[in-house]
Amino acid sequence: MVYFDNAATTPMDEEVVERVHEGMRDLFANSGTPYKIGLDAKCLIEKSAESIATALKIPSTHRILFTSGGTESNNLLIKGLCFPDKKTAFLGLEHPSVTESLAFLSQFGNEPFSLLPFQQEGRLDLSSLSLLKENRVRLLCLSHVNNELGTVNDPLKIISALEKESPQTRLFLDGVQAIGKLRLSPEMWKGLAGYSISGHKIHGPKGIGLLVYDTKLVLNPQMHGGKQQFGVRSGTLPLPLIMGLETAIKNAVAQTEQTQNHLQGLCRRLIQGLRSLEEELPELKICFNSLVDADVMRQSPGMVNFSFPPVEGEVILHHLEAKDIFVGLGSACSAHSREPSRILMGIGLSEQQARCSLRISFSRTNTADEIDQFLLAFGSAYQSLYPTFLQKAEHR
Amino acid sequence: MTERRTVLIRYDEIGLKGRNRKFFEKCLLKNIKRVVSGIDDIHYRSPRGRIFLDIPSSFAAECSAQLKTVPGIASFSIGVSMDPDFDAIAALGIQWIEPKLESADSLKFCVKTRRSKKSFPKTSPEVNFEVGSRIMSELSQKGLKVNITEAEYVLEIEIGSSETVVFDNREPGLAGLPVGSSGNVLCLLSGGIDSPVAAFMMACRGCRVHFVFFDNQPFLGRGGYDKVLSLAKKINRFQSRGTLYVVPFEELQGAIRDHCNEENRVVLYRRMMYRIAEEIANRQSYMGLITGESLGQVASQTLENLAAVSCVTSLSVFRPLIGMNKESIITKAKEIGTYDVSIEPQPDCCSIFMPKNPVTRSKIPFLERDEGKFPWEELRDNALTRMEIIKVDDL
Repeated sequence: MVYFDNAATTPMDEEVVERVHEGMRDLFANSGTPYKIGLDAKCLIEKSAESIATALKIPSTHRILFTSGGTESNNLLIKGLCFPDKKTAFLGLEHPSVTESLAFLSQFGNEPFSLLPFQQEGRLDLSSLSLLKENRVRLLCLSHVNNELGTVNDPLKIISALEKESPQTRLFLDGVQAIGKLRLSPEMWKGLAGYSISGHKIHGPKGIGLLVYDTKLVLNPQMHGGKQQFGVRSGTLPLPLIMGLETAIKNAVAQTEQTQNHLQGLCRRLIQGLRSLEEELPELKICFNSLVDADVMRQSPGMVNFSFPPVEGEVILHHLEAKDIFVGLGSACSAHSREPSRILMGIGLSEQQARCSLRISFSRTNTADEIDQFLLAFGSAYQSLYPTFLQKAEHR
Repeated sequence: MTERRTVLIRYDEIGLKGRNRKFFEKCLLKNIKRVVSGIDDIHYRSPRGRIFLDIPSSFAAECSAQLKTVPGIASFSIGVSMDPDFDAIAALGIQWIEPKLESADSLKFCVKTRRSKKSFPKTSPEVNFEVGSRIMSELSQKGLKVNITEAEYVLEIEIGSSETVVFDNREPGLAGLPVGSSGNVLCLLSGGIDSPVAAFMMACRGCRVHFVFFDNQPFLGRGGYDKVLSLAKKINRFQSRGTLYVVPFEELQGAIRDHCNEENRVVLYRRMMYRIAEEIANRQSYMGLITGESLGQVASQTLENLAAVSCVTSLSVFRPLIGMNKESIITKAKEIGTYDVSIEPQPDCCSIFMPKNPVTRSKIPFLERDEGKFPWEELRDNALTRMEIIKVDDL
């Protein structure tokens, strides 16, 4: 099996599986109980939180909340901070858990300010930031790494530009696709209102994530109950998942540079291979939607998004699947929608280009040999499907 | 000793049957036995016009849920079997009614008796009076009132030749005829909302429904296949022993797309589906085809197109939804539990096979001319050879 859809989810590390297993087998107590096994569980959770804070260099000005994952973290920060009337802004290319949370606020007349006209290659053009002051925006919501394109919004640059252009606006970053691919600068935290992380995107367990947020901010809880986690996020804490997340984050951070180098090598090989295929197959015309040969401050090394009209991405995906090669079409979370990718359309692609695209996303477990297998299978699927799609295009 | 309950099951249309009534009753009893087979220590009796189950009271809720999945049951009640002793019946009635009076100031009630044992010395109204007056003498001071026309609580007594059952509830059944009483049919199942409802409706007319799905892999993923498996399983709950035939269809669709007039594609696909379904039905001695078509719902479901599709088979084609609107079909799908599966997003045909402007009034000679352009018999046989056969009970 070749698995190239690591932006959707990643296989769990063996070490993580063992920790989760250990937690499930031995540490069942409720961390909210006053007797010793409950207190032991509480200590372990605090230790995990400390160890995560150390790994990510999170300062004491910021608080860590354990959530069920990226979607909950994004919902909690946006709704908890901005409901009902704090003005928000976004680029329009974020994950649905950001855009839909903002759409929820707009039902109450709190319309988010869209910066889509100011996107460049899927990232925010900083010259637009003065508009935030004019529009009295209090929270700017962006992806650290775009989940379909891999383009990077540099937090330090945005924070320093915000300080100059719109000091009232705080930055919230969805960092789900960034951890383990990019080195987080410890400097960024002081300018960040919040940052979300998901376990399963970094070889950790599903059902666990983090919201890191500035303790000066007051977040209104979105779930009410036993007042766990400072009353902001109620619910019994899942110790085994937290232990697994801790291990996954520590591993991801420890291996960031090594992973970057490995993924960059894989990306180069894939891009070169696709270009060679273009030369071999006169009917194949590839357009890269993600940036090619860019440095990691502009493009995450783990992701290549490309179009190949007239053959549809979904049909190629299933032909590759028949050979046990799994690739992505767009955000897995929006695979329920049959509409072409909102993100690809948002950066100016036509509907046909957007439909005729694939997203390849790597993890540190992928190999060069797998890329060669993919290229071979992609070339042959494209050749066999091209006549059919050409006929369809001509009919239209 | 375990406390027992008697389930009194009434049939629907079997009651109208003449000399073959026994056959229908046997079918129904067999189907009932199947759904309650997981309940230990159960006894069956079927005096004329009724089926009685004698069950441990702890299984009453489970038994009730299962009986609601059996076509052919008009309604059923769960009560207690006892001697036709008025004092004992009234005591039971008091025991059931008294708690209801604790939470209400007054309660309108009546007693209804049905007496199939004509040798019983009292008439039904007399029994009503005997039991009712005993209960009233005990509970009238607590607010119980007799009201025959607007009763909020009805105590029912059935005095049969072998036993008397007392109950205070009636649950509606699926009605119709017991599965197996009308023979086997084959339903073209697409994964959409309509065809599962059509299959269910025919199961309620006594048919055992089998399913055929035309699979579009690898143009579409396995999602459609998984969805149809799940739908077949849901419908099979009402009948058991269904078979699902999964026919690979991409080769035939490709040939039609490449060789035939684009506007005719959808009708040509459906003609091939009917031919393949007919072949499966003939091999298995199934007596008809079922589809979820509803007149005018989509381009392929006009009168002309339905005729152009039906004429390729000599089998009867049943379209139980033909006169229903989408809203009523959706309501039914929700009732039978297939709706949530059907609406999972999964296209039933890859866009490259779909025409831009499908024909709404196809002409059979033109369709036949198109079919002369590709070896459909060979491709049909090939698809049948590659077909997967799944016993739905095993899923």
